[in-house]
Order: sequence, then structure tokens, then C-alpha cells
Amino acid sequence: MRNGLVYAAGLMAGAALLAGCDMAANIPEAARGTGEGAIELAEFPDRPYWGDTHLHTDNSIDAFGFGVRLGPEEALRFASGEEVTSTTGVKGRLARPLDFLVIADHSDAMGATRRLYDAPRLLIRDATLRRWHDMMHESPQQSQRAVAELITAAANGTLPKGLTEDPEAQAEATRDIWTAQLETLDRYNRPGKFTALAGFEWTLMPDGNNLHRVVMFRDGSDKTGKVAPFQSIDTRVEQLWDYMDAYARKTGGQVLAIPHNSNVSNGLMFELTMPDGGPMTAEYARRRARAEPVVEITQIKGDSETHPFLSPNDEFASFGVAGWELGNLPLTQRATPAMAGGSYVREALKRGLSIEQRLGVNPYSFGVVGSTDSHTALATADEDNFFGKHTGNEPANRNRALDPQNLGTDIGRFGWNYLAGGYAAAWARGNTRAEIFDAFRRREVYATTGPRMVVRLFGGFDFTEADWAGDWVRAGYRRGVPMGGALKDKGKVPTFLISALKDPDGANLDRVQMVKGWVDASGELHERVYDVVWSDMDRRRSSGGKVPAVGDTVDRKTATYTNSIGAAELRSVWRDPSYRHGQRAFYYLRVLEIPTPRWPLYDAVRFGIKLPADAMADAVAQERAYSSPIWLKPKKRK
Amino acid sequence: MKRPGWTGEPLVHFLIAGAVIFAFFAWRGEEVDPASRTISVDREQQAQIALGFERMMQRPPTDAELDSQIERYVRDEVLYREALRLGLDRDDAVVRRRLAQKMDMLASAQAETEQPSAKVLLAWYDAHPERFADETRYTFDQLWFDSEVAARSAMGKVRSAKDWRRLGQAISLPPSLTGEARDEVLARFGEQFLTAIDLLEPGEQWQGPVRSGFGWHLVHLRAREPGKPRPFAEIANTVENDWRTATIAARREEGYRLLREAYKVEIDK
Repeated sequence: MRNGLVYAAGLMAGAALLAGCDMAANIPEAARGTGEGAIELAEFPDRPYWGDTHLHTDNSIDAFGFGVRLGPEEALRFASGEEVTSTTGVKGRLARPLDFLVIADHSDAMGATRRLYDAPRLLIRDATLRRWHDMMHESPQQSQRAVAELITAAANGTLPKGLTEDPEAQAEATRDIWTAQLETLDRYNRPGKFTALAGFEWTLMPDGNNLHRVVMFRDGSDKTGKVAPFQSIDTRVEQLWDYMDAYARKTGGQVLAIPHNSNVSNGLMFELTMPDGGPMTAEYARRRARAEPVVEITQIKGDSETHPFLSPNDEFASFGVAGWELGNLPLTQRATPAMAGGSYVREALKRGLSIEQRLGVNPYSFGVVGSTDSHTALATADEDNFFGKHTGNEPANRNRALDPQNLGTDIGRFGWNYLAGGYAAAWARGNTRAEIFDAFRRREVYATTGPRMVVRLFGGFDFTEADWAGDWVRAGYRRGVPMGGALKDKGKVPTFLISALKDPDGANLDRVQMVKGWVDASGELHERVYDVVWSDMDRRRSSGGKVPAVGDTVDRKTATYTNSIGAAELRSVWRDPSYRHGQRAFYYLRVLEIPTPRWPLYDAVRFGIKLPADAMADAVAQERAYSSPIWLKPKKRK
Repeated sequence: MKRPGWTGEPLVHFLIAGAVIFAFFAWRGEEVDPASRTISVDREQQAQIALGFERMMQRPPTDAELDSQIERYVRDEVLYREALRLGLDRDDAVVRRRLAQKMDMLASAQAETEQPSAKVLLAWYDAHPERFADETRYTFDQLWFDSEVAARSAMGKVRSAKDWRRLGQAISLPPSLTGEARDEVLARFGEQFLTAIDLLEPGEQWQGPVRSGFGWHLVHLRAREPGKPRPFAEIANTVENDWRTATIAARREEGYRLLREAYKVEIDK
């Protein structure tokens, strides 16, 4: 029998000997570059293209340890609509494919957990690394515990030296992974059909405070192959921008960065000062605005729009806040109310106005997208197809909604705090790398918490209801600016063309709100949420500035809802009732769906588990879209 | 030079390579045989140890370090062989899973890096026309209504209407699509609508109402053209991706089946 086994091993090993090749041979020229000139473009962006800018695969140090064994190829196949078997053996396919994907593996110690896993045990001299090696081999649960320890160590700067000691050797390993990945991206990039963008996550985390950015490239491997992902260890954000500038200079290509999870930054993501505490310089503000035109506002690890503490009059401010609000990423430091201002997007947009008033430059003039930050290599964002934050909470783990999260101190965050994830929508004239990237660059993008609502916003000074009768999209572009744009204050009241169409396979719409932030003459910051248009307006009369709740059709016992309330589409032309000449302001839309089950409720029904009271209270929510803002800027004074 | 057809079969490559490896192992048999009481650490083995050290510590070992690594290697080898003699590998879940994974990897490693010839890809393309055809394309006009009643009442007027576009309610959906790909229709109108219009026969009549996630539609389905095959030259890359994915899975399965056939499995009910 032993001989038979050796023979079979030999048989299988034989396959491995016949390697060696050039896989790039069949990639069409157009798929290797930016896709400019490859397809016919629409005159105006005519539909939102859907994507995920933040997906991890088995090359990420934490994802591999959490158990994922799917790589970039499987990630691209899944996102583009093919069937893929998840690491835990569940077959899955997106009912509606995505249009684009950014694979954003951690640049630090890329592939390191895999190397640790594969390393001969006797050569691992560091006691901690050897323990992690053993845990990774022992069982999936132990492996997840090892990675939780690893993330905490990374957050605390106590990673064992073996992982970080020789940056050159690590850089070489990273380059190998990067080169292979760039080629895979080119192989799956199909201009006009599916866009595969290169990227990585830069994981700066001083004292566990999350300052992570996803870095996203416009170009194909001919340019991106000339650099390697930039490491975060012992760096500052200005060095990331230096790296990005150097890339543009060296290759003529383009790159941008997308900050995310400001909600677990303990106030550091959107500071009023420089990172070192000194007064912010105009140069810093200019560089930040240029490098980081878009922020990820919502994802699996919570929603960063705002917090009830910052927006006490906003009755919808608490979405995706539970658990995450407690402190920084590994919960090594609790959050205090004073930190909230630097942790949420709406407040950051306000701070930007005030800094601009002082310095003449707005560092926080960004648009917004949603994404998943999934560590399963599967870009799922719907409540009824949640594949988990990582492989340890894929649906194979029936208890995942109740499990305590296994990062850091373990206290206070539970599985049910995870959101199902978000998606990014890009208004582009076609589906190519250049068109998608350029939409991000001009901030003509928006975020959803998963559903694919179609949200249009144009700002101008002369829009009227009569515009709906004609080609209003053309009118919007001709006589105004789309989301992400800026209006020059001419002493006239700004008006907005607003349209929100429901996800055809999702829930009806409750309402569309305009969120306005502004800075007054004395420098004080203000915000206000206006209900602009809602379903059944004749029956749901606004009283005392409040629109009555839309209702709730969710059956908690079966995790179902009906579209018997709400609207398919909501449109309005809105004039700012509180306009003041000379005031700096921003305006963005928040579109709310009717209440629907969140994934823990689907889990509870599917697996017959009982949710505790606080999870149950959060088991139904109003999914939403956030548009990028339009800014109103005073004319330049001399 | 013309070779017989069987020389191109991957399974044949597989078997030949397997035989080569077997011969190799047989020749080196003494060294891999755990029953042997001789442990020889030759130059090659020492180089391996040094390389492993370098990978982990990211610098080459000093002589003293190499000596101590070799000493550890010998120690582990002694204990490893004794463990095998005692059969300790048999009930160990980690060893079991790790070895199973290695077998899987070996089976598919070739397909992961192999450059298939154009001939192989063309054969793959010919064998799976449905995977490489263009999408079905749709040409239709549609009107939207928020209720079935409104849709039915418009149905009576639509044939005689001068401008059918005026009959529908306002919504941000294109009233007409011409030769649009299935995925585009799916993105704009959703699954429910697509399923519904797949049940309609194309023709000159308005049909419906049909249901979508938005409400109700009258549809004039002018044409539904099944996707034509796309020329191989245009999609060689897609064919290669598909070949690779399918071949990796097939090789793993094939490798497993070869082994599985030698077993009789009894599962108590």
C-alpha cells in the first residue's frame, strides 16, 4: 500500500515539473492599459457602474490567517458574475455581476502569513511566530485567534521581528505577488464589460487608531508594474502621498487614495490640525485634497456618515454605529466624545469648510463610496447573501451573529455589529479603467449600503420642475454640475435636480433627504437635514419639520418584507431655503429605503438561532445611499 | 515532425511525469525511507537548510548557525522517523489535512502555470460554445405604471396612440433599448423584468402588463437575438482563463479519482 501511495504522489508531483510559461500571451492590448479608445463612450454618464474598491484575498496577512484560500483570480471571477466555491465549501454566484473591482490586499507583509504557515517549523525561532504557526495548523478557530493576536500586535507595534525585520526581503516577496496579481488583473479586465483595477491597502494604524487607505490605480501593468505596493510600517501619510506623486512622475500614470473606517480612528482621520498636532498648512491641505478625492463612508466594519452625538437632530444618524463607536480598531483605546468630530464624514466635510475659510484650501473636499472590506475574496454586499467579514464568519458558522468579535480586547463588539457591506457607484460614460477612475477623480460617485439605487444630483441656479419634461440629464450637465462638483456663489439661491430610483430587485424608497453643512460669518459650523421628497406625500404630511415614519412591513419570524409601502422613484427640484450670500456650504443626498431585514435576522431564521435583545433591536434597518456632495463656494476675493 | 495524437493528452503527460517521479523516488529511496537508520545530510540538503534559514531570517546563516541548524535537522529527523515507526502520523488531524492539501496542490500545479497551445485553447473553445457566445441582445420599447390597473387601462390605448411615449408614467428608465446586452438590461431593469420578458415572443404587438421590481410595464419586444459565438481571436484570453480554471479543478478531481478507485469505502448507516 505504501508503494502505491508513493506512486500516486509521484504521479501528482509529475504535474508540477512541467511548469514554466508566459501567461500574458493572450491578453488583448486594450485590456492591458487604461482602455482609452477601446470602446464607444456615451455622451454623458448614462448609468452608474457598480463596484467594490476594497476586497481582500489570500494575499492579505490577516485574510489568509482567518482562513481564506481564494486568491485574486477567484475574486475577479466571482465579482464578474461567475460561480465560485467559497473557502468553506459553499457555492456562490452574484445574481447581478459587478462592473468593476479593486483588489486591495494589505501592502504590509503581503503573503507573510502564508509563508509562516508554509515555513518548516524548526526554522521558526521566534516563540510568538512559532506559536502562531502552530495555531494556524491546529484548527480554523485557533488560526483566527492567531490572526487576532497578530492584528493587535500590528496595532500596538509589537509584531515579532521575524515578520518585519528585513524590509528588502519582504519587498521582494511583495513584488512577486504584485507582479502575478497585475497580470491576473489584465487577464480579467474586459473594456466595456468588466474593469479590473490594481490597488492595495495601506494600513497605517498608530496606537490602533485606524488611518487605513485603499490606493487605487488608473493604469495597466505596463505602468503599475514599475512600482510595488507601499508599506505603512513606520511611515506618515505624507510619505504615502510622496509615493503616489513619484508614481505619477515616473510612469505618467494616475493613482488616488481612499481613506476608510474613520469610525475606528478615534478622531485621527479628519483632524483640524496636522497629524503631529501643529497647525494645518495650506500645502498639507492641498496635497490631501488632491491625493484623496474620495472617502469610503460605509462598509462591513460600520458606517461612518455621522453619529447621534454629532447630529442629535438627525433621527437616522445611528445606522451602523453600534459596537464600532466604542473605540479604535482593536479596542485598545476607548473613544471619548471629543474624538467624534474627527471620526465621521459629515463633520469632516464641515471641518473642511472652516479650514478653507482660514487657509483658502479645503483638505476634506471629498466624495463618498461604499465598499465591502470583505476578507473572503467574495464581494458580497446584500443582506441576504452576507458571506462574512472573513472566512471565520462565512455562513458555514451558524453562530456568527452572536460570536464576540475576536480583535483586541474582545469586549463589546459582536458578530451582529457587522454590516453586510457597501458598494461603490460610479457615474461614467463607459466601463473602462480610465472612465471609472476618472469618475472617482471628479467625485462623480456615490455610496450605498448594498442596494443598487440609481441616484442623480445636479446643482445649478435655474432648475425648475419643467426640466423633468425634457432631457433633464442633459440639462443637468449643461446648466449645472453633477455630484462631486462645485458651484460658484453668484448671489442666487442654488437649486438642485434630485432623482432616486429604487434597486429593481430591492426595497422601495422611503425618502430622499438633503444634508446641508455650512459655516457662518462668525466661523461657526452648522448642519441640517431636509426631507426633500418622500413616498405618499399627500398622506404623510410633514408636521413640526418631521415627516412621519414610512412604516415597517418586516415579519421578524420569517425575515420577509413587502413593497406595499414606499415608492419606486422619488424626484424633486429643491431650492435651498436657508441660502445666505457668501456662505460656504456643501449639499449631499441621503436616500432611505423602507425598513428591511438585516443579515442577522436572515441568519436567525435560516439557522433557527435566537438573537439577544440588542441584536434584535438592530435586526431591521433602512438601507441607504449617500451621494457625493456639491459645494457652494464664494467667489474668490482678491 | 508529426507526433501521434495521444502525446498531446494531459493525462498522458501526467502519467509519464508520475513514472519519472516514481523512478526518482525509487532511486533516492534510501534517503526517504523512514525505516532506514542512516541519516545523511549531503551538500544539497545543507543548502536547503541554509536557504530555509535565509528565507525566515532574511540573511544567510553563519557557519555556527548552520551547524546548529543541521544539528536540529538531524534531531528532528531522528524523532520524525521514530514517530513514523510508532505510527504517530496516523491519528494526527494536522498531518492528515496538510498532506491532503499537498496532494491537491500537486495535482493542479501544472495547470496553474502552464501555457496552453492555441490548439488546446481552440479545442476548448469548440467544445464549450455556450460559454463563449455573446450575450442575448434585446430590442424593446416599454412603458411603466405604478399599478396593474393603470397598465391595463393604457393597454387599450397603446395601439392607436399617436405617441405611445405619452401613455406611461414618468420614471428614470429608458423607454427604448436597441440591441442591448442581457447584463445591461439586468442592471437597469432587474431580474424580475428580465425573467418576464424572456417569456414573451418578440413581435409587432405591445404585450403585458409584466411585473418588475418597479411596478408594471407594457412591453413592445421588437427583437430578442441569441448571442452569436464570438471569434476565437477576440476572446482567446477569456478562453484561456476559462480553460485554466476548469483544468485546475478537473486535474484535482482526476488525481483524486485515480487514487479513490483503489479504495473501498464503507460508511455505517
